[in-house]
Amino acid sequence: MLTSFSRFLIFLGLSMLQLAAAQAPPQSGGDFSNNPEAKKLPTGVLLVKGAWSSASDSVTPLPEGGRVDKNIYNNPYFGFTYALSPDWVEKFSGPPPSDSGYYVLAQIRPAETFKRAARGSILLAAQDLFFTLTPAGNALELVNFTKDKLSPDYKVEQPPALVTVAGHSFVGFAYGSPVAELHWYVLATQIRCHMVQFVFTSRDDKLVESLIHDMDKMTLPAEAGPISGRGGGDVPVCIKDYASGENVIERVPPVFAERRFNPVPVRIIIDKEGKVKHVHFLSTFPDQAKAISDALSQWRFKPYLHDGHPVEVETGILFGRAPRMATSPSTNAGTE
Amino acid sequence: MKTVKRASVLAFLVALFLPGIAFSQTDPGVQGGPARAGSPLASVNSSDGTLQFFQNGQARFQDIESVSNSPTGNNGLGPRFNFVQCSGCHLQPAVGGTGPATNPQFQVIANGFVSGSTNTIPSFITANGPTREARFPFFFDANGNPNPNAPNGGVEDLFTVSGRSDAGSCSLPQPSFALAQQTNNIIFRIPTPTFGAGLIENVDDSTLLRNQAANANNNLGISGTFNHNGNDGTIARFGWKAQNKSLELFAGEAYNVEMGISNEIFTQDRPLPGEDMNAGLPASCLNLSGSGYPEDTTNFTTKAGSDQFATNASIPSDTVMFAMFMRLLAPPTPSTTTPGGATSIANGRRLFSAIGCATCHTPTLSSTQASNFTASLGNAPANAFSDLEIHHMGTGLADNVSQGGAGGDQFRTAPLWGLGQRIFLLHDGRTRNLLSAIEAHESNGSEGTQAELNFDQLLTSSQQQDVLNFLRSL
Repeated sequence: MLTSFSRFLIFLGLSMLQLAAAQAPPQSGGDFSNNPEAKKLPTGVLLVKGAWSSASDSVTPLPEGGRVDKNIYNNPYFGFTYALSPDWVEKFSGPPPSDSGYYVLAQIRPAETFKRAARGSILLAAQDLFFTLTPAGNALELVNFTKDKLSPDYKVEQPPALVTVAGHSFVGFAYGSPVAELHWYVLATQIRCHMVQFVFTSRDDKLVESLIHDMDKMTLPAEAGPISGRGGGDVPVCIKDYASGENVIERVPPVFAERRFNPVPVRIIIDKEGKVKHVHFLSTFPDQAKAISDALSQWRFKPYLHDGHPVEVETGILFGRAPRMATSPSTNAGTE
Repeated sequence: MKTVKRASVLAFLVALFLPGIAFSQTDPGVQGGPARAGSPLASVNSSDGTLQFFQNGQARFQDIESVSNSPTGNNGLGPRFNFVQCSGCHLQPAVGGTGPATNPQFQVIANGFVSGSTNTIPSFITANGPTREARFPFFFDANGNPNPNAPNGGVEDLFTVSGRSDAGSCSLPQPSFALAQQTNNIIFRIPTPTFGAGLIENVDDSTLLRNQAANANNNLGISGTFNHNGNDGTIARFGWKAQNKSLELFAGEAYNVEMGISNEIFTQDRPLPGEDMNAGLPASCLNLSGSGYPEDTTNFTTKAGSDQFATNASIPSDTVMFAMFMRLLAPPTPSTTTPGGATSIANGRRLFSAIGCATCHTPTLSSTQASNFTASLGNAPANAFSDLEIHHMGTGLADNVSQGGAGGDQFRTAPLWGLGQRIFLLHDGRTRNLLSAIEAHESNGSEGTQAELNFDQLLTSSQQQDVLNFLRSL
């Protein structure tokens, strides 16, 4: 049996609790939550992405899909492998593909165990020749563009010239910075209408020479060459601007729910019947990707014929409304 | 004899270690002496009225705002705010700059701007730390857990007017900063300096696009893009993520968000993102100035004075005059000799470019468009050391806040002019040390990794020191 005083004390306690609850931040789920046992978010993790890369399926290889595994960089899309020199590692992954079609494939640097005094770096990168901001139509032209745009801080040490690496033709180009006493050696080739390049940086020429020598262990697809890499064989033929003119039998424009102004470069593979088989969004927001996918599934193309037979073809389409520099038409990035 | 031996040993040790000491690179630190910024552009003068507008805007920039009953008429503060005066946070090294060494936000209770009975100073606001705004990247769910599927990212103002004698019965709690810290659901931003902002505003889009194209295929792993204004699609350029198109928009948003003052661009008092999703601000916290909305307007009743231009300058709203002040501020003047001497600075400048930093931190955007404001703004170089693009800066700097077209890891290339006299570095002011700020450019997913590697691994200590001296000369 509770006495009157006990009831009073209980009443008082409950009243104080209610008062305290009224003064505490409301459990609104907004800015005023209050839970001492709340879950922590992970640190150093990107949870809110902007425009990013994605694809219509998870099976078809993508240019950005290469990985370093057991000291070998393997890129199924481009069909090449590159064995890292001993004591060289990939410490940080690169950024996502850019909306101008630039890929950082891998960034290689000496490991902590590296003994040599002079250090260096190796950048593996690719530039989609369909979406480049430059007027270049092939890897050779793109390397020449780089040379022409070099700032006065650099000195050309070897103008672009054809060299053979691992049995394939590359463009070799070297420049240096007298003030930094650093040298850059660029080796570029073209695969599937992309310039694929290796950039070696060091102050030690001998180190760079040995790294380039190690490239002879690479395996590359037969098409690789400074102007020749236009797909074909086991992979689709790549043709710039194939999705234009009479090649497109049926075109359905995407319906965007939200007006945005970012460029949306899209690389598609068209099957032998003229339907879109695969869509790769280099840089897009999810709602844009959905709208474009829905539209492209309804597009119909004239099948592309090679030696009289229909073959798969890969091409690029630039959606979006972002202003960008006009470039002169490409001369031979797989143009027909 | 013993003395001679000791001297020999000492000499040997000095010879052994001195080179290491001499070539151990260090941040020269914040450059003292007179402020290298804060003056108006060279063409600003009293005969065409631009000086009167500059001075009027500069004065309003320093006004202390009240909620109501201000004897100077500066009403409208709150109901939520980060500080009471633009120049409180934009003060280093002069009015219009960035956060000062002594943090005024830490003193708001002591100075009577905030009631200590209803507000506390969040733990991330310290006496000598950076002035900050806070954002919660994600909303909390009903159980108080941050929900990664519910992005927030809006500013959570630090203080409320509750308990102030001029705020009536308005009673508002502060956001749950302690919980946000406990759950890693908080990020910070420091004020961007506004010196030279008129030149940045006046760079036309085609100049920016040309610069972007010229820097394509740079052999450094860099490829940025632009944030665009959602209304007309042109390139936006102000703010840590280049989310704002113009200085007037920038000023109007800051007046509304940082000080709680509605204006001709943002015409309502702003609730917090969580409040906005519910009932909004309570009625007891609305129209606290008692004069309706917006709280900052064009001054229709201004009476003519003896100086026509001074009279003209007093007519526009605060927002317009804040923008005009920022627009007419001259860019910082770099030193050619300190720190480190002229040779080191010149060498550092060339190294900065050679290793790739200048690909994003473009030293000069060639020329602004013709200007109707004042001659110095037209057909002039913008030596901002920025391409005004947004770049992926990796998981190390990502703040998981999306603004316009910029994602959680994308930031505008921070203009570096005036860096020599900045105290707090990076978007959240996490460091005072320039070396740490450079180091932060490399992480998974960052476009800056290769250039940082060039600086950190491939330059000699002496060369690195030249780069640091150059940067602190700006």
